[in-house]
Amino acid sequence: MLASFGAATLASYLIVSGILLVIGIIGFLVRRNLIVMFLCTELMFQAAAIAFVAVGRYYLDYSGQVMVIFILTVAAAEAALALALVVFMHRQRDSLDPDVYGELAE
Amino acid sequence: MDPVLPYLVCLVLALTIYAAIRPASLSFQVGAIVATVAAAGWLIGIVASILSSLDGDAATPFFIIFSLTLLGAAVRMISHERPIYCALHFVLVVIASAGLLLLLEAEFMAFAIIIVYAGAIIVTYMFVLMLANQSADPNIPDPRTFYDKIPREPAAAVGVGFLLLCIVTGTVLHGTTQLPVQPQETIVWQTLEQLPKQFKRSVLELDDTFAWPPEVNEQGVAIQIENESAFVVSSDGVRLELNQTLLPTNTQAVGWSLINDFPVSLELAGVILLMAMLGAAVLARRAIELGEREKRAALLANEEASS
Repeated sequence: MLASFGAATLASYLIVSGILLVIGIIGFLVRRNLIVMFLCTELMFQAAAIAFVAVGRYYLDYSGQVMVIFILTVAAAEAALALALVVFMHRQRDSLDPDVYGELAE
Repeated sequence: MDPVLPYLVCLVLALTIYAAIRPASLSFQVGAIVATVAAAGWLIGIVASILSSLDGDAATPFFIIFSLTLLGAAVRMISHERPIYCALHFVLVVIASAGLLLLLEAEFMAFAIIIVYAGAIIVTYMFVLMLANQSADPNIPDPRTFYDKIPREPAAAVGVGFLLLCIVTGTVLHGTTQLPVQPQETIVWQTLEQLPKQFKRSVLELDDTFAWPPEVNEQGVAIQIENESAFVVSSDGVRLELNQTLLPTNTQAVGWSLINDFPVSLELAGVILLMAMLGAAVLARRAIELGEREKRAALLANEEASS
């Protein structure tokens, strides 16, 4: 229990978290479905959670795990609001393509 | 230290992700995803082997299994053409990352992530996907919509991702070696001392003749470390060895840290959740247009109900 945890192990976890974050960003930029774009933001939240817990474990500090609780909170709030907005917009135009809603920016 | 090879592997990884997200046949996509997972494993191995000159430990087999499952499911998620399957692959991502958290001895967070993500958030996404995808028409052989089939600017997105991945890799390679030295075991035992009632109870359970309170040393710490074993000294000078089973569990320690270190953030999280709930209720409410006659009938019904 709580054995030593070296820099190489920490680096492996951080690289996994970094690759996951990059995959989430690529997915967010590439996909053209509003709901899948929001799923990709959840992927980025997961990456942040893994990085927090790994660094917290390296320093034997529980604050990293507490941050994951707040990440979960923000992710749940974001999912509720974003999905309510998506349902609202889908009712107006019957499409999930963000390009359809281009005039919102004007 | 060879700084060029990790960046080359980042380039290979970016190219395989590009191959995976382009529209192609199923076998080509699966091959590209396998290549992506292999490149990711290569990158992890290179970085770990560069840094393992500092200390000798290597990744466990479970780490390899969980991390490669995680990355493979993530790539399949952003490349799948049907949103329902994207959500299901995200469940696989969540379960694999819960496995990684278990390896990091964060048991509470691992199960909380499964419950909240796979159990609550993904179910919400599935409901909205099923509401939005009205593709039950059997006359349409291909239910996929055009905007799910054609990715937007895959080359530019992969370029951005490649640059970001290079920055992350460089930071991990040059940053972690400069981190301060890892703390000693005292920090682990401090988590027990921060819970005074549990500290007293567990010490008295070990030895009920122990004269409470224990002596504190010059740093004001009661639990002292000597030759990798922890002990306390009672007020009449009896020395008592502590064993590792007395340490607080992960859930206790996280709860202590949450209440002790972040009380304001905890309150703010509650406010955020309340606001999100109210906002979602307001946004998703369907406005019902009533005519004059229905309004009068509704008013009458209200009055009857209240009288």
